[in-house]
Amino acid sequence: MIAILLNELASALSPMALAAADGDGGPTWMLILGPAGAGATYFLSWRYYRNTHQSHAFERETRIEAQPVTGNDAKVKEIKGTKKTGIDGDNRTNHRQRVQRLG
Amino acid sequence: MTSLPPPGDGDLPPPLDTQIDPPADPTIDTRNERLDDGVNRCPQCGATEIQLRPSAGMLVCLFCRHEWSEARLDETIANGDLTELRGRTIGSGATDIDTGADTLITMKCAGCGAEVVVNTEEQMGARCHWCRHVLTINEQVPNGAVPDAVLPFKITHDDAVARIDAFAGKRRLFADRGFLREFEPDNIVGVYMPYMVVDSNASADIIGRGEIQTRRYTRGSGDDKETFYDADVYEVQRHVDFTVDDLTIESSAERANMDSSTNTNNIINTILPFDTENAVKWNASYLTGFTSEKRDQDVAHLVPVVENQLLSIARSEVQSSVDHYDRGVRWEREKVDIHGTRWVAMYLPVWLYSYYHESGGKGLVHYIAVNGRTGEVMGSVPVSHPRLLAAAAAVGGVIEAIVIAILVAAG
Repeated sequence: MIAILLNELASALSPMALAAADGDGGPTWMLILGPAGAGATYFLSWRYYRNTHQSHAFERETRIEAQPVTGNDAKVKEIKGTKKTGIDGDNRTNHRQRVQRLG
Repeated sequence: MTSLPPPGDGDLPPPLDTQIDPPADPTIDTRNERLDDGVNRCPQCGATEIQLRPSAGMLVCLFCRHEWSEARLDETIANGDLTELRGRTIGSGATDIDTGADTLITMKCAGCGAEVVVNTEEQMGARCHWCRHVLTINEQVPNGAVPDAVLPFKITHDDAVARIDAFAGKRRLFADRGFLREFEPDNIVGVYMPYMVVDSNASADIIGRGEIQTRRYTRGSGDDKETFYDADVYEVQRHVDFTVDDLTIESSAERANMDSSTNTNNIINTILPFDTENAVKWNASYLTGFTSEKRDQDVAHLVPVVENQLLSIARSEVQSSVDHYDRGVRWEREKVDIHGTRWVAMYLPVWLYSYYHESGGKGLVHYIAVNGRTGEVMGSVPVSHPRLLAAAAAVGGVIEAIVIAILVAAG
């Protein structure tokens, strides 16, 4: 299992390391990759054993019959020159995060 | 302008205690009337020595080896089109628990007339001490012990042991040494867990904001180069009508608590779903040789859980309709209208291995559970922190060495 983890971490980190070594951000930050890899190994292994993140995926594993989805899309404004790569609080895939209840 | 006369006694509404109660939810009668005398006889020879044979999912007479099964619940109640489901319908085994109901049930033996007491906290049957007949609790007593239906075990003890052994075997390296020393998968217990199985007909509305990128550009040069985005922002509304068949909800308050810092109940939740459409009418003989846990939650306690899950399902259903919002969608308001629900109480089969482990003065029961129908396994294995820390440090060290080598090579 350690070999698999090492392999995955190495393949994820080596392009970053090479880019950094090319002079993009200087070499000093790269030294954090070791502790980060150690932390990731600990966390992923612990989770593999304890499975605290697992639960029944009732959204997919229950027999659901849905009618075609309907709705409206109304443009309300434009954003110019933001540095943010996405909308704040994107919860499109986080189906279990509850938001304000209507009605 | 006219003034209204002061109200006299005749104008007051009747006192609350004399008002007519609102109509109770309609119930589906799921009693197994054939077994009302508490004696489950073999249809072929009349013997009462009956138990489940998991490999066949059938009841077997231990006297003449005849095998049979109770009727599937789905065949005995009208299911109909779920889009036509209105109001709330409850199985007679899922009605509210009477907290005053006695857990000690006195049964009259149909063989000899003796009175036999069964403690439903611990078992669902007893043997008549005079004539040796086996008496089982088949009447739906209102203490949560007798559900509408039971889904018999199909995975055998040996099969479940092998699956748990394989699951734990993949997790030996960093497992707690005490766990490994004491690991005895043969000690698994077959447990019928209490669930509510809910059919629903619902509609949901979801409102939020979505963004579509219109332009991406950079400003500056060299180290000061920065990327900027322009985007259109939309108010997004979605509506979906849907039906859900056999949503399965824990009906024991203790099992429904999924706080992973204090328990590992999420493990048992993860092995869902079951093929609940194959559940059969209640017959306590299915429980012979297994243990069971009583339901302690009424429908009213579980309505918020169902609403929550229906909202999650609705959010999942509308997801593909907002794929074109490439900068994402932030749902802000949501609503579910439940047009109809049908509730059935059910015992579902789980093979359970449990291990109590103390770490840092805090105890936790770790479960490895096997779905008694599909064989799906999930578990929590206590870890050896020193071993895990050593492995993490080793991995970190190797990565650091690679990084240093790259830096040296680069210049």
